[in-house]
Amino acid sequence: MSVASYLKEFCRPGWIKKFFAAKTAPLRAPAHFRDFPELTGNECTHCLECRMICPAPGAIDVVQRADGKWEPQIIRGHCFRCGYCVEICPEEVLASGDILAKRHEQNLAFTQEYAVLVNPKLCMGCGNCCTACPVNREIDPDMGAGGTSVSTDVLMRIEKGKNTVLHNDLCKGCKVCEDTCPNGAMHVARRVEAIQTEGP
Amino acid sequence: MTLLQTLKNAVRKRSIHVCYVNTGSCNGCDIEILACLSPRYDIEQYGIYVHNNPREADVILITGAMSAQWIDKLPDLWDKVPEPKAVVTIGNCPISGCAFNRPGALIDPPVSKYIPVTAAVPGCPPRPTEIISAILGVADILFENYETKTEEKP
Repeated sequence: MSVASYLKEFCRPGWIKKFFAAKTAPLRAPAHFRDFPELTGNECTHCLECRMICPAPGAIDVVQRADGKWEPQIIRGHCFRCGYCVEICPEEVLASGDILAKRHEQNLAFTQEYAVLVNPKLCMGCGNCCTACPVNREIDPDMGAGGTSVSTDVLMRIEKGKNTVLHNDLCKGCKVCEDTCPNGAMHVARRVEAIQTEGP
Repeated sequence: MTLLQTLKNAVRKRSIHVCYVNTGSCNGCDIEILACLSPRYDIEQYGIYVHNNPREADVILITGAMSAQWIDKLPDLWDKVPEPKAVVTIGNCPISGCAFNRPGALIDPPVSKYIPVTAAVPGCPPRPTEIISAILGVADILFENYETKTEEKP
């Protein structure tokens, strides 16, 4: 090929366009990609399941709009895109990628249990946890300031200068005891299990 | 705009030199940046070149949650970058500290406290496509009529 034919080829608009434009088209995220959760339009019941399961600090807030309806808000820059909030929401308020489709396909049901753990080495028996606990307050409104109670139905009470958990199954996982403990002796462990069920 | 200026803008937008700075990240975002170099995403076809030298860079990519050792070093590094320059933070860590922002952690996010951040890509980690589109978006603003911009500066 002569030099002239090369020059002619370089002047062809098709060649110039191909030479300067990016070769592979910008890749799009596939449909199953779990992006930041988005609202589906279902009504939020303010159960705060999404907030409780969220592993990222400060990633989700449930806010009340001006018309009185609640809605979850994902804060970008905090959210991991793990999709737990989408999976756990009983009303399917949030959607992300193929999570909801997978949940329907497998008929996933979630069970949760809480374990109230007390570190006896750190617990000094002040009773802050027992008096702050909202479950305790409902069962025994006359609970003493030191966390002592005559009732054995309460979730936990101070016995012999140490916090004793009597009914672990009553715990609702609010973690108020964890927040009010001055020594860091309380720990509320939450276990969520996804179970595949047979049909709806 | 003159023809020369149009040509300059077009050429500069296809020559973006990037330097990445890891201010204490878990390497998740660094691996996503690495994926941008791979044949599947191939950032060089968009004219983005990696030079891990701030004196050659136009765009600084920051990953990580700003560990204590970087607090005095990052503004120094930012001063060494020649104009026009921009910062793109990659991932959640430079914005919020992400999973590491717990009580007692030795990090001090956000990065925007120390240097001016032009764009932030949220995600833990963000997809390579999101990183590429952020860099290209910043470059469009950065190099557009750069000469006239510098004249306006005090």
